[in-house]
Amino acid sequence: MRPFKYTKAGDATSAIKVVSATETSNFLAGGTNLLDLMKEDVMRPTELVDVSRLSLTQIKSVNGGVALGALAKNTDTANHPLVRQNYPLLSQAILAGASGQIRNMATNGGNLNQRTRCSYFYDTAMPCNKREPNSGCGALEGVNRNHAIFGWSEKCVAVYPSDMAIALAALDAVVKVQGRDGKIRSIPFADFHRLPGNEPEKDNNLQHGELVTEIVLPKNNFAGKSYYLKIRDRASYAFALISVAAALETKGNVINGVRIAMGGVAHKPWRAFAAERFLAGKVANEANFRLAADEEMKAAKPLEHNKFKVELGARAIVRALTMAMNGGREQAV
Amino acid sequence: MTSKNTFIGEGVNRIDGLLKVTGAAQYSTDFPVKNLAHAVIFKSEIASGRITEIDTAAAEKAPGVLTVITHKNAPKLNERGGLRGGAFLQSPKIDFHGQSIGVVVAETFEQARAASKLIKVSYEKAEGKIDFAKLASTAIPSKNPGSADAVRGNVDTALRAAEYKIEAVYDTPVEHHQPMEPHATIAVWEGENLTLYNASQMVNAAQTSAAATLGLKPEQVRIISPHVGGGFGSKGGLWSNMVLTAVAAKMVKRPVKLALTRQQMFNSVGLRQRNRQKLRLAASKDGKLTAIAHETVTHTAIRDEYIEACGDCSKVMYDTPNSLITYRHVPMNVIIPTFTRGPGKATGSFALESAIDELAYQLKIDPIEFRIKNEPAKDPSNGKPWSSRKVVECLREGAKIFGWDKRKIEPRQNRQGNYLVGYGVGCGTYPARQRDSSAIVKLTRKGDDVNASIELAASDLGTGTHTILAQTAAEVLGLPINKVGVKIGDSSLPPAAGSVGSVGAASFANAVNDGCEKITDELIAKSGKQFFVRPTAAEMMVSENLTEFQTRVDAKPPANANDYSVHSFNANFAEVWVNDATGMVKVPRFVAVTAAGRILNPKTSRSQIIGGVIWGIGMALTEESIIDPRHGNFITRSFADYHIPANLDIGEIETIFVNEEDKIVNKMGVKGIGEVGIVGVAGAVANAIFNATGKRVRDLPITPDKLL
Amino acid sequence: MAKEFDDLDGFELTADEEALLEDLPGLSELGEARRKFLGQAAAMGIGSLAVNLLAHEQLFAGLDLAEETVFTPIAEENGVAVTLKINGAEKALTLDSRVTLLDALRDRLGLTGSKKGCDHGQCGACTVIVDGRRVLSCLTLTAQCEGKSVTTIEGLANGNALHPMQTAFIKHDGFQCGFCTPGQICSAVALMDEARNGEASYVTADVRGKAKTIQLSDEEIRERMSGNLCRCGAYPNIVTAIKEVHTGKPIDTVAWQFVGAREEKDAAI
Repeated sequence: MRPFKYTKAGDATSAIKVVSATETSNFLAGGTNLLDLMKEDVMRPTELVDVSRLSLTQIKSVNGGVALGALAKNTDTANHPLVRQNYPLLSQAILAGASGQIRNMATNGGNLNQRTRCSYFYDTAMPCNKREPNSGCGALEGVNRNHAIFGWSEKCVAVYPSDMAIALAALDAVVKVQGRDGKIRSIPFADFHRLPGNEPEKDNNLQHGELVTEIVLPKNNFAGKSYYLKIRDRASYAFALISVAAALETKGNVINGVRIAMGGVAHKPWRAFAAERFLAGKVANEANFRLAADEEMKAAKPLEHNKFKVELGARAIVRALTMAMNGGREQAV
Repeated sequence: MTSKNTFIGEGVNRIDGLLKVTGAAQYSTDFPVKNLAHAVIFKSEIASGRITEIDTAAAEKAPGVLTVITHKNAPKLNERGGLRGGAFLQSPKIDFHGQSIGVVVAETFEQARAASKLIKVSYEKAEGKIDFAKLASTAIPSKNPGSADAVRGNVDTALRAAEYKIEAVYDTPVEHHQPMEPHATIAVWEGENLTLYNASQMVNAAQTSAAATLGLKPEQVRIISPHVGGGFGSKGGLWSNMVLTAVAAKMVKRPVKLALTRQQMFNSVGLRQRNRQKLRLAASKDGKLTAIAHETVTHTAIRDEYIEACGDCSKVMYDTPNSLITYRHVPMNVIIPTFTRGPGKATGSFALESAIDELAYQLKIDPIEFRIKNEPAKDPSNGKPWSSRKVVECLREGAKIFGWDKRKIEPRQNRQGNYLVGYGVGCGTYPARQRDSSAIVKLTRKGDDVNASIELAASDLGTGTHTILAQTAAEVLGLPINKVGVKIGDSSLPPAAGSVGSVGAASFANAVNDGCEKITDELIAKSGKQFFVRPTAAEMMVSENLTEFQTRVDAKPPANANDYSVHSFNANFAEVWVNDATGMVKVPRFVAVTAAGRILNPKTSRSQIIGGVIWGIGMALTEESIIDPRHGNFITRSFADYHIPANLDIGEIETIFVNEEDKIVNKMGVKGIGEVGIVGVAGAVANAIFNATGKRVRDLPITPDKLL
Repeated sequence: MAKEFDDLDGFELTADEEALLEDLPGLSELGEARRKFLGQAAAMGIGSLAVNLLAHEQLFAGLDLAEETVFTPIAEENGVAVTLKINGAEKALTLDSRVTLLDALRDRLGLTGSKKGCDHGQCGACTVIVDGRRVLSCLTLTAQCEGKSVTTIEGLANGNALHPMQTAFIKHDGFQCGFCTPGQICSAVALMDEARNGEASYVTADVRGKAKTIQLSDEEIRERMSGNLCRCGAYPNIVTAIKEVHTGKPIDTVAWQFVGAREEKDAAI
């Protein structure tokens, strides 16, 4: 961990001003990923502005939906009655991630800003375009079992590790950010994170110094039928091989609305739009779920060691939708 | 007051429990040493070649830095001083990725860590031998007699003639010990004398190897290691980090603390090597084995050799007239492997017990009955009688408790909702040995209050050494257990065996037992009196009005132990649930039945067996270290990538001990349980997965992708 | 001591353990206090534990170890002044901005109970309780703890009484090497409050509905304790210890079985 100046932010505006002024400065909230990366020497900020005491912690009803303060802890978000009742998918997804201790520390805004867990990104002895632009991608022809099957580029095949964000993608959340001009702008969730393209060093579309202030969940009718399925190499405290956030709204047996987002498959939460399109207006049964999953997987381009993710991903979609149809009340593991 | 209570065999609480639950137990880096400087190791970023330039200028100028040590300024060390994997910093040569190439010492840990990132190293890379998959075909025989071909009869003839046979290759990956306490040392010099607070499974070996490497006499080095935060073999051999801490302390003329980071643990302190085991088994129609061939290909380091004995179980578990055990290995640019819990047996039994299960299925014989049909009356490998062997009892009693009769021989017959359920069995064994150990027994008395102190350079890595020694001494001396103090983990005490290879309990407890008997004899002799009923040492202290008395014993293993084949045995029963969509496996129920002679403390023994089972489940389902075949670095380089089982991975584990009185193994009849607990476990889980799904997975770990 | 622990109070420990605890001066500070306590224990000649603790202490008597619990100030860069409460006592520190709470506890305050297992939030050995919640001290900057209240393993005992969770861990052998234990126990203690608050987990069958106090199944305990790795494999015993404290109902300690004939002929003949 390189030396850095630590300052406590008095308010969001001044925090943004300080961070904006220096390219090598960062906001510090829960610190669960940032400190980890600083100890690894992957991130080397010269200044940390501690925003963890700002009052952006409320969780409240807004226009029939719910607004989540960016600095609310993951635990508080997952357990808030408004979230548990109306967005159980989000509660489940948050609770699928990390550990009780980490969820007590990690914030909602920080969760969106967490970085990939790609081993080549973490290991400074290895090439990585995300860590060091134009040094090459270690994983592309390396060990890439945990890597992307959708939307990767020659520059980067890493996946985005969050569970929470997969549910937020399925729920069409909107991210509110405050810029250096003091104005708040809204970013639809699908536009928040990026595919790697030629600039894998950019995880998302935030400008340097922009601070996430709030995540807004629009009203929906998915609370009755949703499920977050996480497949991993050990039962708990592990990142996903594949995860699926599934939510359905049905009329009788027919699908009125459906949302499917996948984790562990791309550089950003992967909305399974092809599968969603296929299912619209169809009868909700396993056969249709499988056809939809296959439709989605047509676009998959697996790497040498993650070919299994195509079949596993399809199965995960089917199982998550099936569990969602059953009310998502079955025990997860 | 004295007491004749029985303590041996009782499930008493750990006497070091209070220290451990309050945070007061002191591990290597917990000692409050004054004026401490902090050191951080930095490592090679290539697998093979040499350092051409190492620029330490920026690091040396960084705030707080006291010195930077590399091969350019390190003192000459004895490379043959007994450290595993070499002393390092002696030349610019690089043999594996992550080889230690320097140490930064600074006022604070933060400063040392930051400065270590400022080192710039240039290398001349050589082509490394890294890719086991490609190199396996070039494997060579070992020159070590322990790994020589062992041939009985002719397996090829038997295989040709057999009606029932299987041939299969079983792969196990590189695994890492990863005890929760990283290897760590505080080094303190006082003149030419060195104290090392260093987590050690073998206190005396740490002392002699540190001394030899540094060119000191053993008596100049003192190792202090009262509590070891897990070892599992990795703290058995001593590694360069210990000696580099001493070098650093010498150079900055201050005490120095150096703990490996978790990431560094992957290429600093050994590993369990990758094994490719080919098994060929043949049987007659009525289920008698006619051949077992167990041929292992593995890897070792460039400079040194270690081969774990995967074929050992195949030598002793089943009766067969024809047997072939071989080892071939590839020297590779990877850190040297080292003994890892159940060395050879844990991995070897996975292959053997899977193959036995495969052949039993082919024969349509219940796998328990198949094993019992092939139970050997004596050790098939050398013809020696067993000192005791209760495999059949383990299998029969375990089957009853587990409910084996509910198992269907055909797979995929038991479905529970989204899960396929299966049952599997696997047996295991581990040799039982006692090693030389000395001990001092001291008695002190104030009024009627007699206290004992037991002193020997043993170690406790969670095995319960403190507790079993207090139990043994209390019982033999005739004292309440609360009157016995146990001093271990210090090389200034009488030399003792290490806590390795399941020799700890037998070696330490027999030494203490002998010492306590000896002190009683001496007290009786000193009194010059005759007794009809042998008094206890405690009674003698009071009746003879002595305030202090002590003796020392040098205990040796029994002379005739070599006339017998002496082993612990077990049988393991696993119930697995396999998610039919995701391939995730859970093990909600496991029954481990162990026959390991006398159980000194069933509470701590049960914990050790459970630990072994969990290691076995990890081996079966989650643990794998992956090397990038281009660079030689570990891709799995943290606890986030190397998955040791978490709490949710583990269900109920029933622990059953078979009563077994073995008067041959050693005086106390103790066989040891630390190693045997893992043996046979991965096989039981893999066999259960076959029974659940019909899928035979022969390469571990059985992750979800392998069950699609 | 919390009321719900009344049923568990007092019966689990042996007389010796009880006797020892009677004489504890409070386990919140190591170093000098510990030495004093051990001296008293020696003078009173109590308990197996005392004898064993003393055995260790005598062993290290000749070593030149620091007596002070708070170490001499250490060089700092980007110094930050922090005042926080640790185990009830206010501490004012000035330290390098990089110092994590874990390193402050261990290297600056002599509270070495919290362990550095991985330093990256991947093992849980450093778990402490900050403002009532379990967190990882290795991923917390001390600078962030201004005004906060930190409880470590050394601060769990209430005066002369061990926390019931500590007692249950001894009773059910919830550890082997003991290195992960301080983190396991801090985590488990905070978990009791999480259950009281009705917090959900990933294995909670239905997260919907109003949060109310919940009874944790074994599976719930396992999931919620999965952030604390134990390499010795004490998980089943940890679950039993937590279950006992959580339910307030004592659980039998004899969890093993012996089978087969006990007497047998001398195998040597």
